[in-house]
Amino acid sequence: MERDEFTLVRDMLRAFATRFRSGSAGDIKAQTRTDAQRALDELGLSGLRRTSPPAATVQECALLAEEHGRQPLTTSLLGTALLAPELLRLLDLGERAGPVYGDRPTVALAGDLRFPDRDAVGLVAWDCDGADTALFVHGEGRVTEHELGAPAPTADLLRGVRRASAEGRPVGRLTPGAHQCWQAYALVVVASELVGAARSFVEQSVDYARERHQYGQPIGSFQAVQHQLADATVLVEACTSATRYAAWCLDSETPGRALTAARVAKAEVNSSAVEAVYAGMQVFGGIAQTWEHVAHLYLRRVLVGATTLATTPDLLTVLAAPEATR
Amino acid sequence: MTDTPLDFGDPEDLERLRNDFRAWLAGHPLPERPADEPLPVFLHRWHRQLHSGGWVGLDVPEQYGGRGLTALHQVTVSDELGARGAPGVPRIGYLAHALLRFGSEEQRRRLLPRMLSGDDVWCQGFSEPGAGSDLAGMSTYAERRPEGHYIVNGQKLWTSYAQYSGLCLLLARTDRAAPAHASISAFVLPLDRPGVTVRPLRAANGDDEFCELFLDDVRLEESERIGAEGDGWPLAMTTVAYERNALDTGHLSKYGLLIERLRRAAHERRKLPDGLLSDIGRCAVDYQVLVAHARRRTAERLAGQSAGPESSVDKLLMTRAEQRLYETALKVFPEELYGEGGEVLGDYFYSRAASVYGGTSQIQRNIIAKRLLGLPVGPRA
Repeated sequence: MERDEFTLVRDMLRAFATRFRSGSAGDIKAQTRTDAQRALDELGLSGLRRTSPPAATVQECALLAEEHGRQPLTTSLLGTALLAPELLRLLDLGERAGPVYGDRPTVALAGDLRFPDRDAVGLVAWDCDGADTALFVHGEGRVTEHELGAPAPTADLLRGVRRASAEGRPVGRLTPGAHQCWQAYALVVVASELVGAARSFVEQSVDYARERHQYGQPIGSFQAVQHQLADATVLVEACTSATRYAAWCLDSETPGRALTAARVAKAEVNSSAVEAVYAGMQVFGGIAQTWEHVAHLYLRRVLVGATTLATTPDLLTVLAAPEATR
Repeated sequence: MTDTPLDFGDPEDLERLRNDFRAWLAGHPLPERPADEPLPVFLHRWHRQLHSGGWVGLDVPEQYGGRGLTALHQVTVSDELGARGAPGVPRIGYLAHALLRFGSEEQRRRLLPRMLSGDDVWCQGFSEPGAGSDLAGMSTYAERRPEGHYIVNGQKLWTSYAQYSGLCLLLARTDRAAPAHASISAFVLPLDRPGVTVRPLRAANGDDEFCELFLDDVRLEESERIGAEGDGWPLAMTTVAYERNALDTGHLSKYGLLIERLRRAAHERRKLPDGLLSDIGRCAVDYQVLVAHARRRTAERLAGQSAGPESSVDKLLMTRAEQRLYETALKVFPEELYGEGGEVLGDYFYSRAASVYGGTSQIQRNIIAKRLLGLPVGPRA
C-alpha cells in the first residue's frame, strides 16, 4: 500500500478499536461481540492478503494486528481477516484441490492451540467470531476444512474459540516453501497482536504512575517504579524490533530465513510480553487485581498468546540446533 | 515511528560498498599476530591497514580525512569484519564526532586526519575515582592563569589503553562556582606532557586495558581546549550516546559466531545438563533480537530520525545478550573454569562489566524513565 493509504486503513482500525473496546470483563456479552464483529467486517480487511500479489505487505498486516492488540477487543481480525485469507492465497499458489464450503473461514488449531506435530486430536476453531468454518493445516502441509461446534473454554475472555469437527474435507496441500511461509506468517501476526497489547498496557501504566500519588508525590517519581517501567519498555522495544523485522523478512527474504526470524520474534514475545504486563500490573497495584480493571484482560491475552502456535520450549529447542542441521 | 512500515533492507549504495570492501579484504587479509605482541599494538597495525584502503572514518567529511559518507556506511564495514571474526574498525567514531561538533576549524583540520590514520592514538579521560555514575561531580580542576594557559590537577580512571595512547580527550572543571553541568570543559591532552602519569590497572579478566591517569600541575594551552569553557558536558553527552548505540553491529557478529559454536558443541554431546539446550536457544533469541533491533535503528535513521535517549534501550538489550551469552558459554565449556582459563573465561569477565561501563544499567533506566517515558523527577536521596 502507499504510505497514505496504509495510514488511512490503520486510523480506521484505530477508530473502530476505540469505539468497540471492552472497558472491563463485564462488557463482554454475546450481543456486543456480534455488533463489534459486524463493524470490523465492514472495514473490509479480509481482502488485504487474499489476492496475489497481496494488497498489503506482511509488515502492514503485522502493524494492523498490533493496533488490534492495543485495545481489549473480542473481534476476530487475526483468524478471519488475516490468517485464513492468507492460507487460501498460499494454497492457490500450491496444489489447491477442492473448494471451501464456508463463506467466512477462520483457522483451526490443535486442542492445545499449538502447531500440530503429528495427527492432532481435539481440534478447535481459533479466533472464530463471525466465522462459519475453519481451515486446519496438518503437520505435513495438508489442509482440511472443519465444521464449527460448541464454544470451547479459554482463559482469554476476549478470544472466540469453538470446538471443530474431527473429520475434515480436503482442501489442498501447501508446498514445503508455502508451508514455511504459512508458519512464519501465523507466528508473526499472532506475536504482533501480543506486542500491541503489551505496549498499550505499559503505556497505560506509565500514565497511571504520573497521576497516582502516594506519600504526597506521583508514584512515577520513585526510582523503584521508574526502573520497573524502564525495564518493561526495553522488553516492549525488543518485541517490536523482532516482530517488525520478521514481518519484513516475509516480504523480502527466503521462507527459511523468514521462519527463523518469526520463531525468534515469537520466542521473545512469549516471555517479554508477559513480563511487561506483570510490570504494568505491579505499578497499578491493588486496582489491577480486580475483575473490573482491564489488567487481567491484557494478562489473559498475553498469557494464552504465549502458548499459542508455539511455546517457548518448542521454539528454544529448534533455535538451539546448529544451523547446518536445520 | 513505531506505527508505520520500515524498510529493513540495505540501500543499494550500502550493498555496493559492502562488495567493494569484500574485494579489498580478499587482497588485504588480517595480519598475523606474534604471540608476544600486545593486543593494542596488533589492533593499531590493523587500524593502519584498514585506513590505507580508505575504510576508516567513512562518515567524516572529506576535508578532515574521511569520505563524507554516513554512519551506516561505516557500520556496514564493521559488520562485514565482524562476520569474518576479524577485529572491527577502531572505535574512534565518538571521538571524531565530538571534535566535529565542538572543535574549532583549525583543530578539526589538525587532529581528525591523524586520528583516522592512526598517527595519533586517542584515549578518553572522563571518569574519576569519585565521579563514576555521577560524572558531573568530577573534581579534576583546570585553573586558568592570567597568562591564558591552564594548570590541571586531578585523577582520571578507566582510561582504556592510555599506556598505548598519545592523546587524551580530557574533561576538567574550569569553574568551581558554576553549576556542575555548565562548568566542565574539554581538552586535548598530550600524554607525554610533564606532570602526567599513566598507571595501568589490572582488570578482573587479567588484562590491563584500563588505566589510571594522574595529573599534577599539567600545563594546557588555551588552544588545546575544545569548544568554549562549559562545553565539556554537552560534548560528553554526545560521545556517550554514540558509545551506547546499537548501530555498531561489528561486535554483534562475534556473538553470532560463539552461539553457533555452542550449538555445535551441544549437538555433539550425548548427555546435556538440564536446561542447557533452552539456555542456548535463549542466547540465539537474544542475539537475533539484537540484530533485528540494530536493523530497526538503521531503518529509522535512514527515515530521518536522529539518535537520542533511546540508545539507553539499545545498551540494556546489548548487556542482556552479552551477559546471558557468556554465562551460558561457561556452562557449555565448564573446563574454562578448572583449566588455565581460556578466551571464553576472559570474555565472560569482560561481559560482567557490560552493565557498568558506558553508563551503568541503573543510569540507563533513569534515562529511559525520565527522557523517554517523561516520568516526574524523584526526590533526591
